[in-house]
Amino acid sequence: MAKKLMKGCEAIAEAAIQAGCRFFFGYPITPQNDIPEYMSRRMPQVGGCFLQAESELAAINMVYGAGGAGARAMTSSSSPGISLKQEGISTCAAAEVPCVIVNMMRGGPGLGNIQASQGDYFQACKGGGHGDYRCVVYAPSSIQETCDLMPRAFDTADKYRTPVIILADGLIGQMMEPVELKMNPNPTMPEKPWACQGWDPKGDRPRAVINSLYIETEILDDLMTRLNARYDEIRKNEIMVEKYKTEGAEFVLCAYGTVARVCKAAVRILEEKGVKCGLVRPITLWPFPSKDVHDVIAQESVQGALTVEISNGQMVEDIRLAVNGEKPVEFMGKGGSIIPTAEEIADRVMEIMRRA
Amino acid sequence: MLSDNSEEGGTAVKTYWILLGSFGSGKSELALNLALEKVREGPCTLVDLDVINPYFRTSERGDVLEPAGVELIMPPFALEKIEIMALSAKVYTVFAPGEGNVIFDIGGDDVGSIALGQYKPRFDQIPKDHIQVLFIVNPLRPTAADLESALSTLYKIQYVSRLDITGIVNNANLAGETDVSHLMEGYELVKALSRETGIPVWGTCGTPEVLRSFEEYAKAHDLDPAYIGKYQPIEIMMHRSWDKFLKEGL
Repeated sequence: MAKKLMKGCEAIAEAAIQAGCRFFFGYPITPQNDIPEYMSRRMPQVGGCFLQAESELAAINMVYGAGGAGARAMTSSSSPGISLKQEGISTCAAAEVPCVIVNMMRGGPGLGNIQASQGDYFQACKGGGHGDYRCVVYAPSSIQETCDLMPRAFDTADKYRTPVIILADGLIGQMMEPVELKMNPNPTMPEKPWACQGWDPKGDRPRAVINSLYIETEILDDLMTRLNARYDEIRKNEIMVEKYKTEGAEFVLCAYGTVARVCKAAVRILEEKGVKCGLVRPITLWPFPSKDVHDVIAQESVQGALTVEISNGQMVEDIRLAVNGEKPVEFMGKGGSIIPTAEEIADRVMEIMRRA
Repeated sequence: MLSDNSEEGGTAVKTYWILLGSFGSGKSELALNLALEKVREGPCTLVDLDVINPYFRTSERGDVLEPAGVELIMPPFALEKIEIMALSAKVYTVFAPGEGNVIFDIGGDDVGSIALGQYKPRFDQIPKDHIQVLFIVNPLRPTAADLESALSTLYKIQYVSRLDITGIVNNANLAGETDVSHLMEGYELVKALSRETGIPVWGTCGTPEVLRSFEEYAKAHDLDPAYIGKYQPIEIMMHRSWDKFLKEGL
């Protein structure tokens, strides 16, 4: 399809449909309302189902049902609404139900505000709901990348039978950018012999059960062993990271989402000032690209690193774990949805380098 | 009522510009540019009547409008980054007799046009030659990509706003990636729309550079000037550089 001017939310919704998503359940919250709005119009056109649930929890439970029946199902919300979904996400993880959850992050905690934020990194990457589980987390930095990641998100969810989170800041949802969507009128779906699609007592197929309650300790342990083995596979196969001008850099910026774009502009400003600065941008936040981050920052040429986030510092903890004290890692960021400009980031880097 | 105001002495009638169109068609960008152009001729008021989107409102560009002398009427809370879609009572003041231009920037689609319905008695009293109701079209938006969807939006907006659209605007654009081929796409669409509805094409918008190239192309290929209308240069004020960021928030 030729390029169109699309708002992030619209583009994500269309990309999900092109990836074969035919069930969307949601509940309104700004700044992601344009996703359910778009889905409500488009789903009937492709023979899919759009349903506005009575609550966020109901919506994720509907996703559990549709995903458990083998369909490609999705829900979307923004930070406070994602908090309400956590019980259902934990249930999907335990029941091995593949699904995609879009979080268009806004300011928090509590109701926060309706501006863009990155305050839900911990929630997405470190649990969110109760129990010993993980979600694959993608953090796109442009509308085009979000669209390109949608089919991957559904494939990953199906391949590993896991919930997948698209963790986008509110800017991604509300900005408009030229985007090229890959149209796929007949997306092929993987076989799902485990799905609850009706049981024939005379057939060969065993009864399919979708369940998250495992009373016997050994049986729950079997599940956890299986999940952990799968998480190891995900860590091995699914890491995505972008390295921008990191080869032989004197300084390294670390950021994800839209902030990484601002950091790229800062890298160019610094270049003009004669500072060789690079950027490492995790695209998967879980699995976290620890080795890539380490290898970039621990280079001999690097003096130090600065992590920039629209939060009071969350991903910076994983960056520091990856670097393991080999180089100093500083943090720049604010709560309240305040996004630094490229000039401010470049100034901070200059200040840190002067101090060193 | 207008007759009450006339007792206060004024009889002159302002010119009213009402900008309508699909969501994301570029109404606010045209509203800002028109306001800054019209204020050079005399008093100019811009009314932000968007009840749809709490982000990217013309109100956010008060920093440009007010120093230029444009009066800005915006909903209370418009800049508070919250969603209370209330209309300002001050909107009624623009219907008082006087000189100059009043530009209404309306929310997208038919749902956005609902905000206009309540002002119908006022608009009814304005002489026809003092009111321009413009329907802005950007075929690069997926919701307005073809004649069928553009027509459907036009009729819905006309029905809900209770105003007759008087002009169609070719605002074909792909943000910073716009070129002549996009304006050509827009030309074909507004031509078809105009033929179907009988509504004339008011103008064609673009950044000065793209507009110049389009003008040359139009002359070289004998495009019908009736479907081009006025060449309206646009300075981009709403669309931001996401790569450097901004201070205004979302």
